[in-house]
Amino acid sequence: MLIFALRRILGMIPTLLIISAVCFTVIKLQPGSFTDQYLEDPRFTKATVAAITRQLGLDQPAIVQYGRWLWGVITRLDFGFSFASNAPVITQIGERLGWTVFIALLTLLVSWIVAVPLGIYTAFNRHGVAASVANFLGYVGLAVPDFLLALLLVVLTLRLGSRNVGGLFSPEMIDAPWSWARLGDLLAHLWIPVLAVGLEGVAGLMRQMRASMLDVLSQDYIRTARAKGAAQRTVIWRHAVRNAINPLISLAGLSLPTLISGTIIISIVMNLPTIGPLLYESLLNKDQYTALTLLMLSAVLLLIGNLLADLVLAWVDPRVRYS
Amino acid sequence: MTYRSTFSSTLLTSTVLLSALILVGSAAAAPKKMAAYPKLGVTTGKSGGNYTLALGDSPQSLMYYGVIDNNLGLIAQQLFDGLVEFNLDTYKLEPALAESWTISPDGKAYTFKLRQGVKWSDGEAFNADDVVFTYQQLIMNPEARAGDAASFMLGGKPITVEKVDAGTVRFNLPQPSPTFLLQLRNFIMPQHKLGKYKGADVNNAWPTTTPPADIVGTGPFKLQGYTPGQKVSLVRNPNYWKVDSAGNKLPYLASLDFLIIRDPQAQVASFLASNIDQINISGAQFPDLKQKEVAGAAFKVIRSQALFGSPPFLAYNFDAADPALAKIFSDTRFRRAMQTAINRPRIIDTVYNSLATLPGHGVAPVNTAFYVKTTAQLGKFDLSAAGKALDALGLKDTDGDGIRNISKGKNLEFDLTYGTDSSVYPQMATILQNDFKQIGVKVNLKGILSSKLFSTGMSGDWQAILAAFGDQPDPELRKPIWQPGGALYYWHRSLQPAKDGETPNLAKMQPWEKQIYDIFDKGSVTTDKTQRKALYARWQNLFAQNLPVTPIAKPDNIGVISNKYGNYIYNLGVIPGYNPVPLVYQK
Repeated sequence: MLIFALRRILGMIPTLLIISAVCFTVIKLQPGSFTDQYLEDPRFTKATVAAITRQLGLDQPAIVQYGRWLWGVITRLDFGFSFASNAPVITQIGERLGWTVFIALLTLLVSWIVAVPLGIYTAFNRHGVAASVANFLGYVGLAVPDFLLALLLVVLTLRLGSRNVGGLFSPEMIDAPWSWARLGDLLAHLWIPVLAVGLEGVAGLMRQMRASMLDVLSQDYIRTARAKGAAQRTVIWRHAVRNAINPLISLAGLSLPTLISGTIIISIVMNLPTIGPLLYESLLNKDQYTALTLLMLSAVLLLIGNLLADLVLAWVDPRVRYS
Repeated sequence: MTYRSTFSSTLLTSTVLLSALILVGSAAAAPKKMAAYPKLGVTTGKSGGNYTLALGDSPQSLMYYGVIDNNLGLIAQQLFDGLVEFNLDTYKLEPALAESWTISPDGKAYTFKLRQGVKWSDGEAFNADDVVFTYQQLIMNPEARAGDAASFMLGGKPITVEKVDAGTVRFNLPQPSPTFLLQLRNFIMPQHKLGKYKGADVNNAWPTTTPPADIVGTGPFKLQGYTPGQKVSLVRNPNYWKVDSAGNKLPYLASLDFLIIRDPQAQVASFLASNIDQINISGAQFPDLKQKEVAGAAFKVIRSQALFGSPPFLAYNFDAADPALAKIFSDTRFRRAMQTAINRPRIIDTVYNSLATLPGHGVAPVNTAFYVKTTAQLGKFDLSAAGKALDALGLKDTDGDGIRNISKGKNLEFDLTYGTDSSVYPQMATILQNDFKQIGVKVNLKGILSSKLFSTGMSGDWQAILAAFGDQPDPELRKPIWQPGGALYYWHRSLQPAKDGETPNLAKMQPWEKQIYDIFDKGSVTTDKTQRKALYARWQNLFAQNLPVTPIAKPDNIGVISNKYGNYIYNLGVIPGYNPVPLVYQK
């Protein structure tokens, strides 16, 4: 198992190298330059453009820029400098990473808690009214974009006279020390994005769970278990669900990169300090090292998610062996 | 011109020693008394309270001269002051950190007497070294990303600054400059905190992680805290040097918060939820908020005519890649004919909800110092006249497909590039497209991000474009835009000199372009007020007749303010030397 994991990790290195080169090329292929965004500013002269271009090393050939970045990453784990925020890329990401992970995990949790039981339920009660309603609502959740749902909820809370229409905290709570009141304030703000993003994933997960449940229920070992007189509960939870959940684990692994890109729009609309808008802005502004690092982070998360999914699968499913 | 604050000397002699000492102390501190501004509705406020504003994004740094960043600018405006500032009502220059100044008869030496007793927010004394440091090491530093070295070069030679004594600073100009005083609105920074940064290092000074106590200024507020991506909080600077017209200490507010909210709609939602107390809105957002105000909401929507701001215009590429298009685009008769097909009243009505006025030509109509009424030159919307004018140019529909032909078998059609993510450009572009179609001119809409409009313009890879350039109080400040061959004169790029600072391609200029070019050259060395006004009046007329670009409308300023606050004056944004916030008070 350890050897398997190690081999996989080593295998990631050339993959990441290729990904970084491709990403950098794509970023460079965009027309315009980082300094374009300032053109409207009266303080922005041609000499300024020249000075900034030189200071940022943008006057060097693209291959040199890429090489320097890569060398920095390899030798000092230095992921470059964010042009837009005038700070190391790492600091930029670090400031937002905590909230990003927290919000993403919370929404993932919400969608799993809602979707998995519903999937199991609809598998057992395929033609019931409740299952149809659940399916319908799931589809609605899938069809309505998360930011739209969030906006609807914002309008609703505004109508009800609440002040919690965006951000993580009420203004006076933002720099307050942690307390129960602050936690309550956080939750009062977070339910809108968590619900809006979480519900979007519910339909997909639910259908996946339902399908693999149905698949598993028709398997021989379920029949055997039933024939041996195992209780219904044991059949469902010990045998059926444990096997049916395999595809979902892979799905969970694949959903790690959504940490970064999954919540861009809702983070902008709901004003959440997560990484999503940072990626969006950096791509628009040609803030190349920030964009590159975030894309790399996304790729790393995807690879790691895959690896984790494989390892968890081996643990959950006795048929999977890597040694 | 000389300004001097006066105080009664008889008082000094007639009081006991102790109080005399106090009086001497306070007289030496020479706080600036703000004007009364009855026209702006400013009254005496009361001390205390908090005021929350919106910030479009996180500041990139806390070093104003290190990054070009409007969000930092909004904060810096509350933390720092310049030597001079605008009168909030008349836009005339007044003393700020400089108490008075004299200009030598040849117009080449400016001597500033600094305000006595001004202290930085950490208690250190403000003096001539700070001014010299700020200008030498920050503003005139070509490596500082947001410095302004170019404005401190005149005719290729640098302006120098020297300390005369602890309270006096002198600037020496290589040639007279009519707008030099305007440049002195630049914020002065503390040498005792920043003196160690030289060259390109200034860009890395004061990152957003700097402890707030290290950010030291002379402004009405000082930094208290910054929560990344969420909030910047400021508190009153107890050492601030301004008092209101009744002599009360300013600012009135005890604290000032900026909530970081990226999305304009989210800002409005936050305002409606009373999380922020004031926002600036666009004409498109106006009806909804006005309706709420009329229905009794606890805020007011305030409309005012704009001096600054970016009026949109339609530009045709004189150097379009297609030679036939380039030929008609650079023909003044064509641009004038097309202007008649621009329905400005309709655009003002529908796109701006009537919250805009007819535009000036490079100067805002409300700018009494320079504006010349050119409204008649804008023409009336008249499609048949436009059609006839195009006919006269030989642009007729020869193949009967309803579209005029440039040449045989070739239609008069062009791409119109506009910003898709703006609240005004998409509607404006559609209106133009429809009206132009009526006169047989086919327009293909080409949407791009608004932030890319200028770079697209500068790249030369476009045919027609809807864009905007900011108005400033003095045309000289926008010379690179409006002087043919200037760095930002992008609709006729072939005039650009091969190298920066060299003479542009004068031979390629059309006669009217050459005239405008000469006007700006002359304007930048003429100091006489009347002469300058006459020069720029000629420029506006040439502009209106020849339409290097066709201005469309001048949007109004619209601000929304909670009823909890008094003394609100429209917040222009980042305009150094124009800061009405110290007068705002919580009722």
